[in-house]
Amino acid sequence: MNRSGPLSGDRQLNLDTDAEVLRSYLLGTLEAESRAELEEGILCDPAAYDELLLLEEELIDQYLAGGLSEAERQQFETHFLVTAERQNKLRFGQLLERYMSSQKVPALSANVPVPQFNQTLTSGRSSSLLGFAVIAVALMGISLLTWVAVRRPVEQPAIQHDQSRLVVVQLAPSSVETKGVTVPPRGSVKLELAVANASFKNYKSELFRENKPLQTDALRMETNGAHQIVPLTITGETLSPGDYQVKLSGISESGQDEFIDNYSFRVNK
Amino acid sequence: MNKDWFLSQEAFDALLKWLDSDREQAAMKYEEIRKRLIKIFTGRACSEAEDLADETINRVISKLNELGPEFEGDRGRYFFGVANKVYLEFKRRKSPQPPQFTPPDPNQIELEFRCMERCIETLSEGNRYLLLQYYGAEGSTKVEQRKRLAEELGIAPNALRIRAFRIRVCLQDCMEKCIKDGLG
Repeated sequence: MNRSGPLSGDRQLNLDTDAEVLRSYLLGTLEAESRAELEEGILCDPAAYDELLLLEEELIDQYLAGGLSEAERQQFETHFLVTAERQNKLRFGQLLERYMSSQKVPALSANVPVPQFNQTLTSGRSSSLLGFAVIAVALMGISLLTWVAVRRPVEQPAIQHDQSRLVVVQLAPSSVETKGVTVPPRGSVKLELAVANASFKNYKSELFRENKPLQTDALRMETNGAHQIVPLTITGETLSPGDYQVKLSGISESGQDEFIDNYSFRVNK
Repeated sequence: MNKDWFLSQEAFDALLKWLDSDREQAAMKYEEIRKRLIKIFTGRACSEAEDLADETINRVISKLNELGPEFEGDRGRYFFGVANKVYLEFKRRKSPQPPQFTPPDPNQIELEFRCMERCIETLSEGNRYLLLQYYGAEGSTKVEQRKRLAEELGIAPNALRIRAFRIRVCLQDCMEKCIKDGLG
């Protein structure tokens, strides 16, 4: 985790080292001065607030799993659980734990069917082998073409979208909150991906719908006031209702992709 | 603050205008500030965190005439200063109370569990898989399992953490609705 953001103006919140501080804050054991500084960050810095929301849920899970020390457990019960909202979250955590213990967790990659090439190769006559080889080569060709079509970054064309039907959405990296977008009929969505790292000339975006790749685009950075953004325009036909992720990478001088961040948005019905 | 003061539509509109000239952006900023104020009051063990957040906002609204549109400071920090005052007054009139628990009715728990099952069924296959993998591992295997899952999905561990959190929030929203509807 290498995210950082401004905290109370002068210093940067380092989420690697400050996770412990946030945890102490949630348990009510942070001293007053640090607490005030952190709270100002919660109000002014989206990264600090997002991290707080994540840690809140993780603390609940740790409590339920018996992962807190005796002192932490007491603080959790007397301080953390002060509001009805957090008590409801604890109840949700208990139910989720119960659900999980009633389920058999599938093995990783269990949903990805593995082709049984060996079985086919050893099961038939030599003519079948030749037939299989032809089919295999054809399948590999189709796969390669599909892979190229999906993976190859396509330079975003100069804007040809109907501006009156263009919805502009600003997205912050790795935000825990998902922005909803309503796409007008025959319209497009322009995502303005905020970037802190402006050291690249060229960028590449990969659009996913619930983990399935949809398209890859080659992009360039633009300046929007004091902010640096990478704009990505997507036509409405590509976007059915659901959750989407954009993986943004910078392209180095040597042509290598360097992952920058993930962005999320939801297309409303 | 004057006790006779009340929040009118006009006053609220003035707050939005103060937050941003674009009304839609202003409304979003208002929601963000309110959520964060609630978290701050919760962090200070105030059981009435929502009321105190609203009290803070009302006080800022009542000061808008004095602040004027030329106010150049950080609006977030201004809210923070007012929130501190509201908190001190709250502390003076009320000592911190330990959390009050009402034991849940067993029938209610069963209803909630059925809602959870139903809501998990409505998740997409990919999200259900992620949920099971992320929360299904136990004890010492959890860290390794999550690391492998991030690798499998081709995302950074923190991105996985955020994705799991979002699914969890979706599930909480779905359950809230399901419970309210009594399973529909």
